[in-house]
Amino acid sequence: MDDKLEQLRQQAVETFQAAADEEQLEQARIEYLGRHGQLREIMKDLGSVSPELRPALGKLANQVSREVEQAFAQRQEQIAAQVASQEAEAIDVTLPGRAPRVGKQHPLLATLEEMIEIFLGLGFTVVEGPDVENYYYSFEALNYPELHPAMDEQMTFYISDNALLRSQTSPVQIRVMEQQQPPVRIVAPGRCFRRDTVDATHCHTFYQLEGLLVDEGVTFADLKGTLEVFAREMFGPQCHMRFRPDFFPFTEPSAEIALTCIICGGEGCRVCGNTGWLEVGGSGMVDPNVLAGVGYDTETYTGYAFGVGVERLAMLRHGIDDIRLFYTGDMRFLQQF
Amino acid sequence: MRVPYSWLKEYLQTELSLAELCHLLTMGGLEVEGFEEWTAQDGGATEQILMTSVTPNRGDLLSIIGVARHAGALSGDGHSQPASSFPEVDEALIDANKATAGPVTVEIVDPIGCPRYSALLIEGIDVGPSPDWLRYRLEAAGIRSINNVVDCTNYVVWELGQPMHAFDFRLIKDGHIIVRRAEPGEKLLLLDDTWQMLGPEDVVIADPMGAVALAGIMGGADTQMREVTTTVLLESAHFDPVAIRRTSLRLGGTQASYRFERHVDPNLTLPALARAAQLILETAGGAITQRALDVKTADFAPQAIEMRPQRCNAILGTDLDAATMAAYLRRLGCQVEEGEPLAVCVPTFRPDIEREIDLVEEVAIVHGYENISPTVPGHLVASGRLTEVQRLRRRAGELLRECGLHENLSFSMTCAAELDRCCFPSDATSRSLVLLSNPISTELSAMRRALLPALLEAAARNARQRVADVALYEIGTVFHPQKIVGQASRLSTTPPGETPVVPNGDEAPLGEGPDLPHEQQRVAAIMMGSPLVGHWNLPDEQAGVDFYYLKGIVEQMCTGLGLTRVSFVRYEHSMFHPGKCAEVTLGERSLGVMGEIAPEVGEAYDLPGPAYAFELSLDMLLEQATLQRAYRPLRRYPAAERDLAVIVPDSDDFSAVRLAAEIAQAGGQFLESVTPFDVYADAEQFGAEHKSIAFRLIFRAEDRTLTDDELDGAMAEVHRHLEERVGTEVRK
Repeated sequence: MDDKLEQLRQQAVETFQAAADEEQLEQARIEYLGRHGQLREIMKDLGSVSPELRPALGKLANQVSREVEQAFAQRQEQIAAQVASQEAEAIDVTLPGRAPRVGKQHPLLATLEEMIEIFLGLGFTVVEGPDVENYYYSFEALNYPELHPAMDEQMTFYISDNALLRSQTSPVQIRVMEQQQPPVRIVAPGRCFRRDTVDATHCHTFYQLEGLLVDEGVTFADLKGTLEVFAREMFGPQCHMRFRPDFFPFTEPSAEIALTCIICGGEGCRVCGNTGWLEVGGSGMVDPNVLAGVGYDTETYTGYAFGVGVERLAMLRHGIDDIRLFYTGDMRFLQQF
Repeated sequence: MRVPYSWLKEYLQTELSLAELCHLLTMGGLEVEGFEEWTAQDGGATEQILMTSVTPNRGDLLSIIGVARHAGALSGDGHSQPASSFPEVDEALIDANKATAGPVTVEIVDPIGCPRYSALLIEGIDVGPSPDWLRYRLEAAGIRSINNVVDCTNYVVWELGQPMHAFDFRLIKDGHIIVRRAEPGEKLLLLDDTWQMLGPEDVVIADPMGAVALAGIMGGADTQMREVTTTVLLESAHFDPVAIRRTSLRLGGTQASYRFERHVDPNLTLPALARAAQLILETAGGAITQRALDVKTADFAPQAIEMRPQRCNAILGTDLDAATMAAYLRRLGCQVEEGEPLAVCVPTFRPDIEREIDLVEEVAIVHGYENISPTVPGHLVASGRLTEVQRLRRRAGELLRECGLHENLSFSMTCAAELDRCCFPSDATSRSLVLLSNPISTELSAMRRALLPALLEAAARNARQRVADVALYEIGTVFHPQKIVGQASRLSTTPPGETPVVPNGDEAPLGEGPDLPHEQQRVAAIMMGSPLVGHWNLPDEQAGVDFYYLKGIVEQMCTGLGLTRVSFVRYEHSMFHPGKCAEVTLGERSLGVMGEIAPEVGEAYDLPGPAYAFELSLDMLLEQATLQRAYRPLRRYPAAERDLAVIVPDSDDFSAVRLAAEIAQAGGQFLESVTPFDVYADAEQFGAEHKSIAFRLIFRAEDRTLTDDELDGAMAEVHRHLEERVGTEVRK
């Protein structure tokens, strides 16, 4: 009986100490001090003890009962004090946080990177050429006849007779093909320049993504298929591609690439000039003169090439209405993306 | 080109609606950019105008007939021609270089510039205003009405695509037309009242006295049609596209030169004369009194080309039969003999069709690009991957963004004044720029030599918008005017070696290399303020960026790129604060510069506070960078820390990095790291121009916990080294 009382005392004190809050402490109180608590139960057992042992045990029982009650009171005080002190440390959780800044990728380059990812997934590799090109790579090797009006469209910036700012990424095609034999499977992103007057939709500086595939048996239908995959990956399954005849000296047949207007979904709106289509680039089968110029056998190999503008896609993706915003360096613009 | 719909319908009979017609043309290679509902200035007529955009290879579409012909070919409806015929024209006097009919003589001296010259004399005309129908047609097409005769020639230009000219024949000396190159220094007063200085690259129409018209571009003022003119000589000639373009590029183009540059059908000269004559006789009276003259230096026969139907299908990815292909080509005006291959005779109005591949394109166009089923090429089997350098460059940008910098783009074009404004170094090498020969403006007249000037301008623009917190980086190309060899290094699939640069010097030999400037990839950044300045629970002096904040970013980027040998040395640079500027080096090589922007530069850009910036060669960084990381086993035994402070003069000789190196040298094999953790200046305590630098030393052994005795021994060695060998005082 002594042992039982002693055990109970220890258990109760430990349980009260372990109680983390008022609720747990109350549970413990009911367990040990409650009307049907363990202490009351053990008191009932006192009656069955032999009379000569009863006084001593009764005394012990009272002492245990007191100590347990004290332990309860003590813990109760502790918990109350703890609550009070933590309340004093309370802060205004509605004040603004101290956020570390995360830098953002430029929307134009983010779009370009996404375009590149799609072509990487199709097995293309990425190459780059210089911004300043020579006349040969810019025109001659691309099958531009001497003094052809097609050059007017290029609105070229010149540094000297032989050095110029590339007006399209197509010279990279030649640089790559000069260095390797088919199969060739590359995309070439890069900055291009044209003597264009700057307004909300035009700029003298712009980005293009060039693509080139040369191998045995490459067809015009393959070109269509590849670009349709690109359009769907970029803008979703509802985006379609339109191909129509166009002219570039370095491709034959040549095709303009247009995509379903992302703004109106093809219904026709102001952005697409009510046509439902947005022109995004040019493409075609690599002209045999170009292939022959780099020493490829034009009977064995055919190829396709395309060039897609990046600005327009980036503007459509984000609803940006002024191309000049890309080059302002305005933090309020750049941090939005 | 403006195509009045009613005019087009004169030659095109079709069931198609206007919208269907436009769609057909657009999908057939002649883009209809839009419509215009046109009303004459006097309100006397209305018209629907198709606005077409013609690609530079299709000069044949620059006329009403051309559009009708193409639409008819695409739809299969066909088209009609104007019915104008005169025996004097049908039976023109033909000669290879000189012909005479009555008072008119035509002589071609320059058969390269002018392979064919046809002319017709009409006498007894009455020059006056054009009738309304003619005036309205031209106005709808966008042509100013001059008088009935000139208007008739312009009408033919628009309808048939053959540029024409009308001379007042009485003013042609001896009635003798000579087509030749201009003499050096020959002058001509043109219809637009400008004097032009001509030379041997210009083709002119002359009489024995001198030039009377600039061939294919504009007539001369002296021989132009006037109200008193009674005899007109009509010119309908074929000029060489390159010759005309050479002149028009120099002197400016016209409707005529625009067409000649894009190639006019050489067999159109006589039909155009007949059509013009018909219109002139109708509107201005007069009579044809002589046979037309047709001096032609070649026979201009249609070109014969073969096309293999199988090859056509192999290129297009189609399965068309030869008969279908032949039918398509016939619709375009070709004569086709079926067989293997197809023998095709191409009409002379399509000089752009010269080869088999050109016929393949025509088949595709008539078939309709939209009717070619897309296929996904089976060639795409390899996996595409970025090269190591490309991945490293992406990673460099990511690291800077992770450090809180936004990516910026600025123009590649700048100007010399921008370099003055930012106090760019003034030595000749730094100031030598790649200049554009035809810039849009002086502000954009040179290629950028560095990225920082544009970043400073971006910071300034933000400041003007009251955005005081700026954190921008840019990765971009800068241009040096050196001639270089092996420019293609960025193309290679392996990291580029050092680009061999041949210094421009004064007269460096050009060698084999292309005549191109040197391009270098740079990474630069600018920081000013901080998003946390003015934050409610951070003192401003702790919130803003400073030298060490930016240095930390440079270090972070370098570490992230696997570069461990990057160091910072005090440096002087005109753009930076003289005391807060460092050269960033990688081993022996200088990567670039970083520091606080010089106060006078900040003032020049009106920056509201100190700005911090760096510009490094990304090419050099990436040459040694790597994304490979080897795992290092985690240490099993605990480290021991010991602190130590030295009192040193405030001088570069006792820089933190040097002292740490000295400590590391003396610290023994268990010394793991040395980090400065406190820098403190107190003149009273340490003396003027002295400071205390405290270092934390971490010791650790691989195989056991170090004892106090071992640590005390190592520290004693460090103390002795610093005091005896380095000559610094160690605080006790």
